[in-house]
Amino acid sequence: MDILIQQVLNGLSIASVITLIAVGVTLIFGLTGIINFAHGEFLMIGSIVTWIAVQAGLGFLPAMVIAILAVAIMGFALERGLFQFTLSRPTNGFIVSLGLIIVLQHVVIFLFGPNQKSIPRPLSGVWDVGGVRIASVRVMVILVTIAVVAMTFVMITRSRYGRALRAAVEDRDTAALMGIPVRRYITGVFVLGSALAGLGGALLIALFPITPFTGGTMVMKGFAVALMGGLGNLTGAVVAGLILGIVEGFSAGYGFSEWTDAYSFGLMILVILVKPNGLFGGTSGPKMA
Amino acid sequence: MKALNVMKYSSSPVASLLPALLVIGVLMLVPALGPSNRTLSLAISAGINIVALYGLAVLFGQTGILSMGHAALVGVGAYVAAIIARDAGIGFWIALPLGSLLAGAAAAVVGVPSLRVSGHHFVIMTFAFGQLLSIVLTNGGDFTGAATGLDLQLPVTFFGHAAGDLVPYYFIVVAFVAISAIASWAIIHSRYGRTLRAIRENEKLAASLGINVGRHKIGAFVVSGLFAGVSGVLLAYFYRHISPNQFSAFPSIYLALMVMIGGARLLLGPIAGGILVSFLPEMLNLDPVESRILYGVCLIAVILLLPNGLIAGLVQGIQSVFQRLSGSATRKSTADASHASGAGR
Repeated sequence: MDILIQQVLNGLSIASVITLIAVGVTLIFGLTGIINFAHGEFLMIGSIVTWIAVQAGLGFLPAMVIAILAVAIMGFALERGLFQFTLSRPTNGFIVSLGLIIVLQHVVIFLFGPNQKSIPRPLSGVWDVGGVRIASVRVMVILVTIAVVAMTFVMITRSRYGRALRAAVEDRDTAALMGIPVRRYITGVFVLGSALAGLGGALLIALFPITPFTGGTMVMKGFAVALMGGLGNLTGAVVAGLILGIVEGFSAGYGFSEWTDAYSFGLMILVILVKPNGLFGGTSGPKMA
Repeated sequence: MKALNVMKYSSSPVASLLPALLVIGVLMLVPALGPSNRTLSLAISAGINIVALYGLAVLFGQTGILSMGHAALVGVGAYVAAIIARDAGIGFWIALPLGSLLAGAAAAVVGVPSLRVSGHHFVIMTFAFGQLLSIVLTNGGDFTGAATGLDLQLPVTFFGHAAGDLVPYYFIVVAFVAISAIASWAIIHSRYGRTLRAIRENEKLAASLGINVGRHKIGAFVVSGLFAGVSGVLLAYFYRHISPNQFSAFPSIYLALMVMIGGARLLLGPIAGGILVSFLPEMLNLDPVESRILYGVCLIAVILLLPNGLIAGLVQGIQSVFQRLSGSATRKSTADASHASGAGR
């Protein structure tokens, strides 16, 4: 039982990072219709930037901030430089993101080599709670994710900006007529999603060593989670992330860890078979008139 | 572009096959030039990819569905070949139809649930199935050889002779490229091809004309699976060793990208995409990492600048030049000029 709780906690800490990806993916898709498969590479770059910063002697916290900023800036540049030209043809945006995967991955290999990179754990404490050994770094990752996702959620559901954003998701043209600068919002959401990926990258390398190929696995799980919850649906992404974390934790606890990577896909396929729009219903992307 | 395609399909279908056959005929002569073994192996693996690309072109170019798990279907063919060779001693020529059929069946298994959802969801579903397959193969124990994969001991026999060398195998592969091109051409010009294109252009309209959209989509997926299976058997017998990571997500991405770069709607597209992608890095003398960066950049450039693929862009460019020339030379009305260039095509 103790092992089980420990494994579920482990599962949840990884699922936190996956949820950060899923939230970014889902937000970007909701407003722009872009399926950004390179989102995982954004995360990987976040990890690499954190690694560089820590190597340079910075602490984890400033390194994390630098990673978030760096990936956000990269997201801005890529949206302005590439994705904005594909907004009217979402399939092309998708293919461009596939090209980006290859480019980003191999640029990182070119610059830093293909081997694993790790940083010393930012928090090394292990708490013993009634026989359950809990690594503090995992708790930190979960708490940071909860805080950031909650902030994003409040911003989108409560603030004026968020309401305008949802209006733009609902009907881009009408929103534009109401004076909402949709074009700027698209960039804004892309940058926000990228920043979340940067944060996810920093958190991931705090948990595990990463390689230039880490992004690929993570993004697929992120998409699986986003689809499970309903693409474009923030609540869905969070709940599906939670489900995946628990399932992965249980499976590891019962000794099926070699199948871990299969659960996200298996769950997603099951959910989509039963509810093609995901657990909480999704959007089919912005309306392209 | 749309107008161009329609004209192409309606005017003398046999003529549209000729350029592809001509190119394949030229490719048949390659061994006569005495290429190095390295060049020849690259050419063989390019050819094996092209067979799968023709299947992908039916799916993406004609029906408008993009599969991102296609390497998994190639993998089905390859594993069928390796497993029946190991367990039953069954060789190449029986593995070929069997692998193809089973890959087609696998496509149906993937297609039925995946096609319940549309657009992006479908793409991600195929991706997920591809990943699942590679996980299953990795965890399959001795039956699938786990992560290390399987070896293939049997040689390819050709009328009783073992075709172990590169040159005979090259001819076999080119023959299959030719068969794939002809099959793909036959599909494009059949009633079935027209049905698929109707679905691509307007699904709702197609449905209202009485076309069973779902069934035809699955059908197209199965057809593309048949091509993938052949490609997989060829691949298994060429490399003589297969492992799960050859058929995971990234090979699928590369297949999709090759067909995009070449152009999915034209008969020459898969050949162009397959050859370009295999040989460009070699010609530029780049190491694998650099060549992949270049590949990604090329892909992004092609999509942004020539959304219909390289060959289609080329054809279009030549046409517009031709049109301008004939227009300024004869000072005919625009309708006449476009008619003239249409006939000259």
